[in-house]
Amino acid sequence: MLNATLKGLAAHKLRLALTALAIVLGVSFVTGTYVLTDTISKTFDELFQNVTQGVDVVVRGKDTISDQSMGELRTPLPESLRPRIEQVDGVKLAEGSVSGYAQFVKNDGKPVTTGGAPTLGVSMGSAPELNDPYLRSGRMPTSSGEAVMDVLTARKYGFAVGDQVKVLLQTGAKEFSLVGLIGFGEADNLAGATLAGFDVATAQRLFDKQGRYDEINVVADEGVSQTDLRNRVAAAIADPRYETLTREEYAEKNAQSISDTIGRFLGTALLAFAGVALLVGAFLIFNTFTIVLAQRTRELALLRCLGASRRQVLNSVLLESFVVGLIASVVGLGAGVLVALGLRRLLEAFGGELPTTSLQLLPRTVIVALAVGIGITLISAVMPALKATRVPPVAALREEVAATAPRRIGRLRVRGLVGTLITAIGVALLAVGLFQNVGSRLANLAAGAVVIFLGVAVLSPLFTRPLARVIGWPIASAFREPGKLARLNAMRNPRRTASTAAALMIGLALVTFVSILAASIKASATETLDRSIAADYILNTEMFTPFSPELAKQLARQPELEAVAPARAGAWKLRGQTKQLIATDPALYDRVVRTQTTAGAITDLSGGGLAVKDTVAETEGWKVGDSVPMEFLGRGVQQVPLKAIYKDNSVNGDFLLSLRDYERFYDNQADQQVLVRAKAGVAPAESRAAIERVLTSFPNVQVRDQAEYKAEQARQIDQLLALVSALLGLAILIALFGIVNTLALSIFERVRELGLLRAVGATRGQLRRMIRWEAVIIAVLGAVFGLVVGSFFGWAVVRALKDLGITVFSVPAGQLVGYVVAAAVAGVLAAILPGRRAAKVDVLRAIAAQ
Amino acid sequence: MTSSLIDNQQTRLAARAVDVVKVYGHGDTAVRALDGVSVDLPTGQFTAIMGPSGSGKSTLMHCLAGLDQVTSGQVLIGDTDISKLSEKQLTLLRRDQVGFIFQAYNLLPTLTAEENIELPISIAGRKPDQKWLDTVIDAVGLRPRLGHKPAELSGGQQQRVAGARALASRPEIVFADEPTGNLDSHSSAEMLGFMRRSVDEFGQTIVMVTHDPNAASCSDMVLFLSDGRIVDEMANPTAEKVLDLMKRLGG
Repeated sequence: MLNATLKGLAAHKLRLALTALAIVLGVSFVTGTYVLTDTISKTFDELFQNVTQGVDVVVRGKDTISDQSMGELRTPLPESLRPRIEQVDGVKLAEGSVSGYAQFVKNDGKPVTTGGAPTLGVSMGSAPELNDPYLRSGRMPTSSGEAVMDVLTARKYGFAVGDQVKVLLQTGAKEFSLVGLIGFGEADNLAGATLAGFDVATAQRLFDKQGRYDEINVVADEGVSQTDLRNRVAAAIADPRYETLTREEYAEKNAQSISDTIGRFLGTALLAFAGVALLVGAFLIFNTFTIVLAQRTRELALLRCLGASRRQVLNSVLLESFVVGLIASVVGLGAGVLVALGLRRLLEAFGGELPTTSLQLLPRTVIVALAVGIGITLISAVMPALKATRVPPVAALREEVAATAPRRIGRLRVRGLVGTLITAIGVALLAVGLFQNVGSRLANLAAGAVVIFLGVAVLSPLFTRPLARVIGWPIASAFREPGKLARLNAMRNPRRTASTAAALMIGLALVTFVSILAASIKASATETLDRSIAADYILNTEMFTPFSPELAKQLARQPELEAVAPARAGAWKLRGQTKQLIATDPALYDRVVRTQTTAGAITDLSGGGLAVKDTVAETEGWKVGDSVPMEFLGRGVQQVPLKAIYKDNSVNGDFLLSLRDYERFYDNQADQQVLVRAKAGVAPAESRAAIERVLTSFPNVQVRDQAEYKAEQARQIDQLLALVSALLGLAILIALFGIVNTLALSIFERVRELGLLRAVGATRGQLRRMIRWEAVIIAVLGAVFGLVVGSFFGWAVVRALKDLGITVFSVPAGQLVGYVVAAAVAGVLAAILPGRRAAKVDVLRAIAAQ
Repeated sequence: MTSSLIDNQQTRLAARAVDVVKVYGHGDTAVRALDGVSVDLPTGQFTAIMGPSGSGKSTLMHCLAGLDQVTSGQVLIGDTDISKLSEKQLTLLRRDQVGFIFQAYNLLPTLTAEENIELPISIAGRKPDQKWLDTVIDAVGLRPRLGHKPAELSGGQQQRVAGARALASRPEIVFADEPTGNLDSHSSAEMLGFMRRSVDEFGQTIVMVTHDPNAASCSDMVLFLSDGRIVDEMANPTAEKVLDLMKRLGG
């Protein structure tokens, strides 16, 4: 029996390959994701080893808070801590360090951009122990006019030691003379970030951190171990606000926190796409096995005639699927390494220069890839396998297997009932994920979506005939006989057509969903801007990095401008939970942003205080006049009076703090956005010119009027949409393989018919056309299912995100029609190979074959 | 071994084979399926080809119908030498001038009886001649079953649909490959009656491969094949005479 199974497999290599392809693609994506994220983690491990060369112990603030634009922030250290540490026995030297925003300006006057990685400014040590490991050429900066640059940036933009270089800082733009170039071990820069180095005192001034350090680096005396030194320093400081780490611990913790971030975002996102691909692959395998087993009815019946038990037939089919799964998973594993290389190239193309580390293929990756690949293949094959066991032995003796089984109304009713039930469960799961905060929302959403897909797939055969009739109508009337036959063929086995189309449905549903979501976000953003923003101009940097408050001050002096409202962003904690706030000058802000208050007024914040959104006040039970316990980094808990409650306007966010309080509670004072309103009667060209004049000293800040701001937001959303669609393209590609596969197998089944058509005078072209239009009908059918399901997802999610400011439900009709057309074109492509095969059918063989 | 014994008058020929040789395989494994067969098929004649299994009768029919390439020799349908035609031209020739009836009916399961009958005309993209179609449909006696799918028809009915399909495009010649092979005696008789009538009433030329003496007895002329050669022929056959000759050839 085993032998028969394996021989059967070997005899159908092409079929095997087609079936395996879906799994290969899915598994390779899973593998690629793991390999890439593991490699990046390893890279950062090595990187943090590199950037701490020469250091033995690091002291830094213990409390952290994650700021939206600045990343992880820590309590700063007072300068006075350094001499205390230096007096500890065993300490050779201790130096403070600070870091902040610093962006180089190219020789053409434009800022150097990184495509996502930070543009970092750091202080360089003065002791040779801390300097030497980094210096590649020149020397370290020693005075306020000097700077060093990372080797890669220098090479890329043609800078050399001795050049003058302009650097954009939070405090404005400054010229420095380049005295040296630095690198990190083998790496020429820090994982894509650009790096500007200054001496400590200069850095403190440039980053607005006078009198403070971010970290203190300690070098041990000869013969003192890192652990000893750490314990001694920690004992000497004896302050719970600060932590003391050995170099190993420091590097490990930093790498860990970056790996976690990468694992959480990049990893989860990529694995989600891999999951979609595998789901589509599962449909494909299910479909292939169903068709192949139907074609092998006689063979299976013969086995039963010869005395094989049902269990043996089941085992034989499952074994076959296991072998297919195993082979596909192994191939997918190998291909995954290539996928990882490709993804890395892609990241590098976007400016993320990664230090070279060999690709990491961990045992976990191998185990997961094999388990997922084999598991999915087996699960998908169970249903067809069970069906195969029901083949009666007598089928082997029958002349011909009925090509189309008569429809049984009872079974259709059962199918309708089961499908509706599954779909309902999926909708319920989706609803829980969207509207209730139970368990993991994302998990509920994903489970809901998958179950809905299954439910619709069960239901879809019921709609296939009528839909194929409608879709095929224009084809049948325009392309006569081949078109008509294509339409009939698409309708003859609704279950096969439906499950082939269902695979395509998944990809298109998700693409439709993100398109609707993106369109709704765009429409909502536009609506918000129209409704809430009274400003004529919005100023910010490309990456929303903070910039000097000096800009707003200079703008305020321009006679063409009526109101200039700076806005700063900050993170704080409410009972241990991190929240984000916006701080602004209330009197000015009120003139550039329309806020509808339910209690108090925005201008009430002029004397200090906080305003919150009505939904937040309701949940917390706050009223105007209450004190809100706000915990700030390094400031502890502060009681801040609540002065106003406002309705959501999508601009204020949840918390609006007065600028006065912000200046008291935050160390770093920098604007993130400036909203400007021109004086009445001033021509737009004039007010803009006034702003541009000021911006010449702040080249990293961009000015946009409302229309430009809207366009920019739309562009960013479209970019994201394109990226997501490209990744979903994998699932669509697999679904197209599914169409190829189904058609190829159907042709195998219909050899006699094709031969007959040729015998009665159909040309090869006509046969190819017939196959082509059948593929088009299947593809469009899948697209229609996808559009319906995706629109539902889009509608549900947009409804659920009302709180996040997505208030408009917008359907990009043109885009959706485009998807259907694209699906039809894809169908044409999918039909090329099967069509050729059909055209090659030998007339004689076809009609002689019994 | 020519078969010009039929009539001495100069009849128009529907098809003609001249010294046809068909070899399958190469070298030691080569099989001469047809070994120099020449045959004339006059218009309006019902010809039966008989012979034991492996005698080459199906191969001869396939070659005559342009389904298979001859190794050497000439095949003409009407005045066209089909051994010189391209694949595409052959297809068009089959479409317009040749009709087929197969042992296994070979109807398209997705089409109704009527659509199956009109299939060759539809493929050609022509308008059906409704009067002629009506005549053919009435001749096979299938008018009440026209809207049915093949799965809903009996074997005899399916084969009669196939017969009507073969005639629908008014071909020069119809080839029938064991048309009664899958049928019971009653259905066989109906099918043969239909073929006989189409020769007598419509002047249709039919070539039928069979090993059923009863079927052969309905024809005008029986050609006997053995080992790729025509070994005998019989005009105005009866079942008994055919059976006798077959016994002699077999023994």
